[in-house]
Amino acid sequence: MSSTNLRSEIYKTIGFTYRNYIITKRNFFTLFETLFWPIIGLISVGLMGAYLNLDKNYLAFILIGAVTLSVLQVSQLDVAYVLLFDMWSKSLRYTFVTPISIFNMIFGAWFFGAFRGLVAFLILVVSGKFLFDLNLLIDPVGLFIFLLGIFLSAMIIGTLTCSLLLIFGYRAEVSAWTLTAIFMLLCGIYYPVTLLPPGLREMAYAIPLTHFLEFYRSFYGFSPSTNNPALIGYSLSFLFLILLFLTLMWASDRARKRGTVTQFSE
Amino acid sequence: MHSVECEDVWMIYRSLFSEKVALKEVNLKIPRNKIYGILGPNGAGKTTLISLMATLLRQTRGRIEVLGYDTISEFREIRKRINIASGNPNLIWSLTVYENLRYYSLLYGINDRKAVEELIKEFELEEFRDVEFNKLSTGSKQKLILARAFVNNPELVFLDEPTKGLDPPVARRLREKIRFLQKDLGITIVLTTHYMSEAEMLCDRITFINRGKIVAEGTKEELKRLLKMRDKITIEIEGIVPDLRLEGVFAVERDGNQLSFYVDSAEARLWEIAKEVARFGRIKNISVKEVDLEDVFNELAK
Repeated sequence: MSSTNLRSEIYKTIGFTYRNYIITKRNFFTLFETLFWPIIGLISVGLMGAYLNLDKNYLAFILIGAVTLSVLQVSQLDVAYVLLFDMWSKSLRYTFVTPISIFNMIFGAWFFGAFRGLVAFLILVVSGKFLFDLNLLIDPVGLFIFLLGIFLSAMIIGTLTCSLLLIFGYRAEVSAWTLTAIFMLLCGIYYPVTLLPPGLREMAYAIPLTHFLEFYRSFYGFSPSTNNPALIGYSLSFLFLILLFLTLMWASDRARKRGTVTQFSE
Repeated sequence: MHSVECEDVWMIYRSLFSEKVALKEVNLKIPRNKIYGILGPNGAGKTTLISLMATLLRQTRGRIEVLGYDTISEFREIRKRINIASGNPNLIWSLTVYENLRYYSLLYGINDRKAVEELIKEFELEEFRDVEFNKLSTGSKQKLILARAFVNNPELVFLDEPTKGLDPPVARRLREKIRFLQKDLGITIVLTTHYMSEAEMLCDRITFINRGKIVAEGTKEELKRLLKMRDKITIEIEGIVPDLRLEGVFAVERDGNQLSFYVDSAEARLWEIAKEVARFGRIKNISVKEVDLEDVFNELAK
């Protein structure tokens, strides 16, 4: 790839980052998503832990679940919204007529989603420390590995939502808000996945986020069920992403054949 | 080389339980550096055809080449060189005029703020530069949609009913702008329209499409000649005239007491027609005019 082409690809990707940034800046609802709900989640779960008189490590266990849920939800919404913004404003044809690829679209939105997720995380670090004496910065390298894992999971959920939107249209809109909850339920948000019934437990192990949660909780004295949860989490993430990018490419091509793009623009 | 070449193109929309043929056997060559019109009644397949050329759809059968590239295997190359504007002005609501243009230019891999400002000036949108899309008037939205179509300096622009729903003066100014841009930039414009006056004013060549098939193609004069219709004689009469079969008359339209005869030559046929009609009542008024595109359209849409 020549430097001109590379620069052009970077601009195309930044285009989506720029759009999501402007919409977030101007939209009170998206600001709310970043600031309000994560803090509400942390406080309510933290108070429940205090009421149950949990020791420090157990409190950290469930608060890590609450923090992960918020950061994941905030980050994935940007990726899921990349198509939804166009569908809601009926401008999908103007995006699809440009020479962008699905990679420009997903990565551009993801960069901003990761940034929003990071902002939400930092707020939760400060709130967690101040309100519940929770130390989320216990291991900086481990934290980096964990956060990147959450952001990759956000990309997975967002890409899955985009594929579903192109295949099923507005009927799949709800997946933008529900997939995270389903993932978190399986991944052991406030409990170890060993509690899940057989079948669901195997499904949980197939999801990368389960391993990232086990990885970070191991710093608080909870042993993971595998030897190298971070490596397994990353391997599964890349596998999921390859499969989902192929699905999204297929869904885009299908949308061209079926006229979905023009339908969503009328 | 042509801008667009379609070879036996079919578009069939398929769902689980149904199938709808939107286009069939479309063969078309669109010359470069011209304004080319695609006309037809509602549901004729105009938007489908334009969407296929713009790579938004993928044909079921046949081959389409745009600027020498295949729309299936080389669609990304095409997308760099084309753009589209539709009469349904929809862009991201909460982005301002400037932000919308900047966003779309980035999607074309262009990072040029100055060019965006020039585009705003070119399309007389300076006073709305920082106004969000959903707060613009329909006319300004349409101007912005048109400006957006030029962010990548395209060689070919598709305009799908660009003046739909606009007030006549705004529509007229937009048409003048389209004509000016085509001449100034030397690009090809393919446009669909419902307004015959628009096609008459703008298009160098026209194709008529009806029920998914191309029924005629050529310049305005060629189309009129093709139907052998040159003049329209309108006679208002007191009385009822039965169906008449007269030499040189290609079609007759009735509107109350008014009869319109489409003829090859008014000079040669007027006397004969008037004499025949006068047998059934007193003639109140006679007018003669050259056939326009609307008359051709009405005939082809039958």
